[in-house]
Amino acid sequence: MSTKNSKRYLPEGKHVMMGNIAMSEGALAAGLNFFGGYPITPSTEVIEHLAKRLPEIGGSCIQMEDELGSINAVVGASLAGAKAMTATSGPGLSLMVETISMAANLEIPFVLCDVQRVGPGSHGPVTSPHHNDLGLIRFAGHGEFQVIALAPMNCQELFDLTITAFNFAEIYRCPVFIISDAYLGHLHEPIYIPPKEELIRRVINRELPQDYTYKYSYKDEITGKYIIPKPPIVGTDYYPPISLHLPHNNTGFPITNALTFMEMLIEKIKSNIDKISITEEYKLEDADIIIIAYGLPVRASYRAVDLAREKGIKVGVYRLITVWPFPDEKLKRVVKNAKAIIIPELNYTGFIAEQVERVKKLETPIFKIPKVGVFHHPDDILNVIKEVSK
Amino acid sequence: MSGLGPQYPTEKPDHPYVQFSNSGYLFGKYNSLFCAGCGYGIIGHLFTRVFEDEKLDPKLFPLIIGIGCYTQLVTLVHHASQKIFTLHGRSPAIATGMKMANPKLKPIIFTGDGDCLGIGGNHFIHICRRNLDCAMLIFNNSIYGMTGGQGAPTTLYGAKSTTTPYKAFENRSDAIKLALAAGASYIARTTVAHPRTLMKYFKKALNHKGTSVIEVITPCLTYFGSKNLDSLGAENLNIHGSKMDTGGKMIDWIKRNTVRKNQALFMDDAELFNRYIIGEFRYDPEKPEYSEEYAKIQKITNGED
Repeated sequence: MSTKNSKRYLPEGKHVMMGNIAMSEGALAAGLNFFGGYPITPSTEVIEHLAKRLPEIGGSCIQMEDELGSINAVVGASLAGAKAMTATSGPGLSLMVETISMAANLEIPFVLCDVQRVGPGSHGPVTSPHHNDLGLIRFAGHGEFQVIALAPMNCQELFDLTITAFNFAEIYRCPVFIISDAYLGHLHEPIYIPPKEELIRRVINRELPQDYTYKYSYKDEITGKYIIPKPPIVGTDYYPPISLHLPHNNTGFPITNALTFMEMLIEKIKSNIDKISITEEYKLEDADIIIIAYGLPVRASYRAVDLAREKGIKVGVYRLITVWPFPDEKLKRVVKNAKAIIIPELNYTGFIAEQVERVKKLETPIFKIPKVGVFHHPDDILNVIKEVSK
Repeated sequence: MSGLGPQYPTEKPDHPYVQFSNSGYLFGKYNSLFCAGCGYGIIGHLFTRVFEDEKLDPKLFPLIIGIGCYTQLVTLVHHASQKIFTLHGRSPAIATGMKMANPKLKPIIFTGDGDCLGIGGNHFIHICRRNLDCAMLIFNNSIYGMTGGQGAPTTLYGAKSTTTPYKAFENRSDAIKLALAAGASYIARTTVAHPRTLMKYFKKALNHKGTSVIEVITPCLTYFGSKNLDSLGAENLNIHGSKMDTGGKMIDWIKRNTVRKNQALFMDDAELFNRYIIGEFRYDPEKPEYSEEYAKIQKITNGED
């Protein structure tokens, strides 16, 4: 379980690599010890790469019998103290939701990379992007809980945000998703890998606390803050005598009136939204028209904004890096004075548009630019900007 | 007439193992949540007994429990054991992850017939195929007890349950044959009516390196016994069955319905129909174990360090 092995880190400098592999390397830099997976296009490169890399550093990568098996193996490994993750695509994620829900309720940390693709699954354009799992990720399973979902837009971010994702999983003890897609996963780009020391400094390690008596997450009544202790580890003294699997109070005793437990599960994320929510603003200071985007469409949006600014249209991009939990308060401030909102999304439903609908002023119009299976071209967005600014 | 006949103490002495069970440790007495006549009490006690007698290190033998009536064994199993509750049927997959993350552990898996052969059939086949080091106890009461007596993949031909109200006519699945085909390296079947054999097999499984599958035939009086006659499994004898309404009758039925492996060699399929063959079916300590094989790969790829 050590991070001392030198093979864990790639040498410092520029590397050209595929998105899926950049994500895998980011996971290794974040201290990944266990990967349980099942091949599914377009996420297959992750398991292929980690099957090669993990044994080198004393970790293990196992191809399970199905997605149900792989997510459960990940949960088992996480309980045994390993930093664990899996990668899948839409149909695999559907199979995994049962266990994601259990893990969220048991507060078992893990990271899941969802390389999204078009379609129901059997055949067809499975190597085309489609951000169709956003709703599933948001409510991944039965029961009530909150998840964290991060949306990178290039290979560098796939590397960096994977480290952030592992850190979030360790701190908040909840499932953390990386929202990738078929194009992003297969994109080859140069990335800069920082020196080993820098990476080690960034990572929050899984370790035992000083005090071995097991404590459960709870709300501190005096400060009103949610205290999330370190996750339990099977095979050490730091494991609860009463199991975690039932709704419990802060002493771990099972309770029937589980309101406080549910409150803890949800508010531990929501009350820390300032730390979790990562966003980026691009030429937003004087913008009348605001583009709200995440993932790949951000790249086209930036270009479209540059082109529109040349024509003197005041437009900017508000980029969501953390998509879930949705930053309601932040966004309220941003869209307060907007004349129009444009939302390019790689799906028809508009999962983010639905959320923006909640927080925007009633009279502000929303223009959705849905695309499925193909990129947004900057011109697609530019045309809408021109339309709107007339 | 004092002084004649055996003298019993007025207060029942404590069972020597009561303090080691979870409820005995917390409250000073056994607290079983099972119906009268259930076999899980015996299993819980035997587990605690082996755990204590063998002085197992609870940190090395995590107990992974599936979903079924036996999930309530938590009150009877050894208080020190680290218990992990899993989803329905997924315990072998959780054990795989746990073992690979920390190869020092040897997971003990509690699973049932519906859990292991129904919903978790795939995980069961593949843990056996990998020969991953773990001790797996499958409790077979040929019914879904926890949800109220529905038919299971192991329900005997002609038996009644709430979802087979007339009779069960599906072929029943056989955990032992499945494990043999899938490649587990220690495979045995016994019943709760043979507790010492069960302890012997369990101890052997704990000392074995590889997947150990022990199927334990256990009675469900409330849902199986109350609906079925004890002529089940004795179809060829053409006897008139009577109701199994006490735990003793069910244990008798289990005993009568089991055939030792050596005896079974001389019996034809018609005679073995609807009956359980008990004994050890495979013991292969030489078979390569998954986590050890993986460690070899780690060693090769690690190169100089």
